[in-house]
Amino acid sequence: MRGERVLYSIFSVAIALTALLILYPAYHALELSFQDLDSFISKPVWIGFGNYADVLAMPEFWNALGRGLVFSGTTIALQIVLGIGFAMLLDTAIPAKPLVRGITVLPYLLPTIIVALTFQWMLDSTVGVFTQFVRLFGYSYIPWGESGTVAMTVVIVLSVWIWTPFVTLAFLAGLQAVPGELYEAARVDGASAWQRFWHITMPQLRPVLTVVLLLRAIWMFNKFDIIWLTTRGGPLQATEHLPILAYRKTFEMYEVGQGAAVSAISFVILSVLILFYFYFFPLDEKE
Amino acid sequence: MNKLTLGQRSALYGLVCVTVVYSFFPIYWMIISSFRDDNSLYANFSLLPGPFTLTNYEVLLELTDYPTWFVNSILVAFGTVCITLVMSVLIAYSVTRLQFRGKMAVVGVMLYAYMFPPLLLAIPLFSLFVKLGLADTRLSLMISHCTITLPLGVWLLWGFFKQIPLDVEEAAMVDGCSRLRAFVLVVLPLTLPGVLTVAIFSFLLSWTDYTFALVMIGTDSLKTLPAGLDTMVGMYELRWGELMAGSTLIALPLLVMFMFLSRYFIHGLSAGALKG
Amino acid sequence: MSKAKDFKSKRLSADLAGTTGGGSSRRTVIKGIGAAAGAAAIGLHAPFVHAAEKTIRFLNGEPSRESVRAMRFAGAQYEKETGIKVQMDTIPAGKAFEKVQASIKSGRPYDIATLIFVGDVLILADEKKLVPINDLIKKYDWGPRILFPVKGNNYWYPYDYNLCWINCRQDLYDAKGLKAPQNWDGMMSNLDALQGTGENQLPHGIVHPIGSNGATNYTAFGYMWANGVELFDDNWNVVLDSPEMAAKVGEYLDFMSAMTKYMPPAPAQAGWANLVGDFQTDKISHTPGTGRLIDTMNVRMPKRAANVGTFLFPSKGGDKFAVNHGYDGWVVLDTAMTDEALKFLEWFSDEHLINFLHTSPVHYQPTRLDIYEDPRWQAHPDLEQFKHITEMQKQVLSDKDIIIRSIDTEGPEVDVRAGKVFRSYALPEMLQNKMVRNMSNAECIKTAADKIRATVAG
Repeated sequence: MRGERVLYSIFSVAIALTALLILYPAYHALELSFQDLDSFISKPVWIGFGNYADVLAMPEFWNALGRGLVFSGTTIALQIVLGIGFAMLLDTAIPAKPLVRGITVLPYLLPTIIVALTFQWMLDSTVGVFTQFVRLFGYSYIPWGESGTVAMTVVIVLSVWIWTPFVTLAFLAGLQAVPGELYEAARVDGASAWQRFWHITMPQLRPVLTVVLLLRAIWMFNKFDIIWLTTRGGPLQATEHLPILAYRKTFEMYEVGQGAAVSAISFVILSVLILFYFYFFPLDEKE
Repeated sequence: MNKLTLGQRSALYGLVCVTVVYSFFPIYWMIISSFRDDNSLYANFSLLPGPFTLTNYEVLLELTDYPTWFVNSILVAFGTVCITLVMSVLIAYSVTRLQFRGKMAVVGVMLYAYMFPPLLLAIPLFSLFVKLGLADTRLSLMISHCTITLPLGVWLLWGFFKQIPLDVEEAAMVDGCSRLRAFVLVVLPLTLPGVLTVAIFSFLLSWTDYTFALVMIGTDSLKTLPAGLDTMVGMYELRWGELMAGSTLIALPLLVMFMFLSRYFIHGLSAGALKG
Repeated sequence: MSKAKDFKSKRLSADLAGTTGGGSSRRTVIKGIGAAAGAAAIGLHAPFVHAAEKTIRFLNGEPSRESVRAMRFAGAQYEKETGIKVQMDTIPAGKAFEKVQASIKSGRPYDIATLIFVGDVLILADEKKLVPINDLIKKYDWGPRILFPVKGNNYWYPYDYNLCWINCRQDLYDAKGLKAPQNWDGMMSNLDALQGTGENQLPHGIVHPIGSNGATNYTAFGYMWANGVELFDDNWNVVLDSPEMAAKVGEYLDFMSAMTKYMPPAPAQAGWANLVGDFQTDKISHTPGTGRLIDTMNVRMPKRAANVGTFLFPSKGGDKFAVNHGYDGWVVLDTAMTDEALKFLEWFSDEHLINFLHTSPVHYQPTRLDIYEDPRWQAHPDLEQFKHITEMQKQVLSDKDIIIRSIDTEGPEVDVRAGKVFRSYALPEMLQNKMVRNMSNAECIKTAADKIRATVAG
């Protein structure tokens, strides 16, 4: 076809630039993880798997990995349960539906800095609105600055608040694709609401559920900003998971090589999940 | 649809109210706090809006670097959107129109890259920028943002371009159009919604990004809004009023865009356009 | 607020409007692109050398609006006079060290930076990141216990004493007929007298941050120093858990723990903002701190500022008193702009330093004796108004019976090790173990001492 040559050359340039932008940093991250570096300007010393050995021997690493699993597991479960709930609600005949849908989606659009700041203000131990609220029940304040469990709960709640709309929208699209006749037939058969949900809605939503589960796992496991902005990984490392450990190693302790090794390990875990995604949802050119 | 009983209906309305309060209360609280003076913030508690004052906004705009950060955010977001649009349109179009081995690998790599968490990319990118002497510049931040927006753009546009049948442009080219003219005059208008969606979400990702900004920018006068606002936390004085005013101003463009372009937003969001 | 002050801040903002602000963005971007091209030509791994550009990068650690304005004003003046730009970045002083480190490690060090702990200065001097400023220091007449030479070299230009004592509500003290406490029992009974819902009472007595942060290191240990506690012996052995010290530390831990009932909830969450904010909003009758409290209140609520009383940290028995160190100062880093930075600092040291000190006049207690005599400095009306406090500040310096200690200056001589102990937050953790986790004194002290040992050894 005419113009193919031009197209090929444009394409080659664009793809080369993109590779430079994305693949080269990924390669560089691996490169760093095999080097001993105490800053970004020092001369790198190749030390093989030294950083990996150091990192895997650190209790901090395993603690961080465990916390990351708790954090991502809990947030994903809650997001999915809430997301399905919201989607079902938005799928029924409710008044002012577009408005309600818009409001439900809003948290997802907000920058994390805003969410972190607003919740910190609401949790302020003397005048925060949540503090005023728990006082009605005889508590004096919410000790998220000193109790590790409470701090973890707070970052989980914040994450669920922000990212549930993703699940809501995905299921809403899924629900709208469920053929209405199925429900009619079930109703004629005298199925209860719960039976209809469990035997018709859920099976129809299974593919959506798999996508959502995988994408949530991929993104929640490496969530950095919301935790960093809210607790900086504290108190006493109670909310420090792998990304925060990688950040602190790199930019606070300047063990750049170890930081890169932590990132590389996260990266491998992530890749497994992404490969699962590709396995379940192969790319299709036709569609 | 069958009729709901009164009880069912009130339960439904109750649930809707709970959902709305759950989703909107923090935003509401941010906005009304930003309009309160210190006395009503710290001493006289009330859930209702008011008293109303602009002091926080005045202080924010006159006595902090907020206006500079605002300009930086606009520059970086604008640059990111431009680079993303040009590159992703070219790549996505080429991938759908050219026949070569491994073209699906290109799309696969894009999707893969799109799933990368920002922090994992930020560390090596920063190291590279240091080597290039680009560390701590707005350009470096713009390039960093493209590492998220470009894969997103290619991925979304690939979906659009592949739905446009080849005959459309072939017909135009038979009529004597060059490939470029056929593309600009025929294909692009058809994919305008897709291009707009990519533009909106590139802007959104750049505008709201904190992680890259935290890592890339050290100098105060080069910071973007999210990172800049973060530096105002932990100063000696309690400044919640100003922080909420700053937050409200960051959210404002998003809320306005969302109101007028919600169709594109919902479409993009459903396609997973906001990583996270 | 005096008219003179009003006038000055207006003048400053008018000047600023004309001299700073955006406008350089496009140039920077274009320059950035040029840099990228250049770097690409050299090859990816060759570190790119910044083009020689006359900009001094200054990290200011005083984020109050007035101080930032004074610093930027000075920078703008300097640019006008010499053509050399002064890029002024600001960060809360507590985070300044991290930021300086980050700037060094990423290859763009600041030329001048604020550091608030002598330990930090030592760490950087040890790593050869700083240049001595002996010639500049020699020019002036310095107050006692303010210069910390390292092997004969001065790296630090201290600009204030920043001593920490206890501020209290003098109006309530007067109304209840209370006197400044002379010992811990006296302190407790004063706290008790002022806490409650009655007349001349407030909801809480005092706020003491105990989290792992600079505020705790700086404000919580005055009682311990007064009680005769030292961390090291003359050979850098940790003596915190020796029988003699452990007894004194135990008394201190019990005292802090007993004071919990006079503190607002969540001391582990409290920070600088609470120390000032809770006092201003009538939540507490006492707060550890410096003259900053008085200056901040004097701007917003001058009548209340006049009602702030002060006393020093007492010991258990009342035989000794203490204040905590907190000197702030500037260092000059070893960069391509070092010479220019030194020139700027010398230029700044005159009129602009006084301007800067005036932005928090009671707080910024001068370090140079010549400033105390300078009519330009004396002219600030607040210094006359708060004479009772400024006199006390001077007295602390000359009275040999008052203990001045801080974690980062502990040990037989000024040394990096004390700075590391400061950063390890071993002592704040000791407080948390006692007050949040209810561990026994012996356990708290042992854990802290072991952590200090490990820190000093590593």
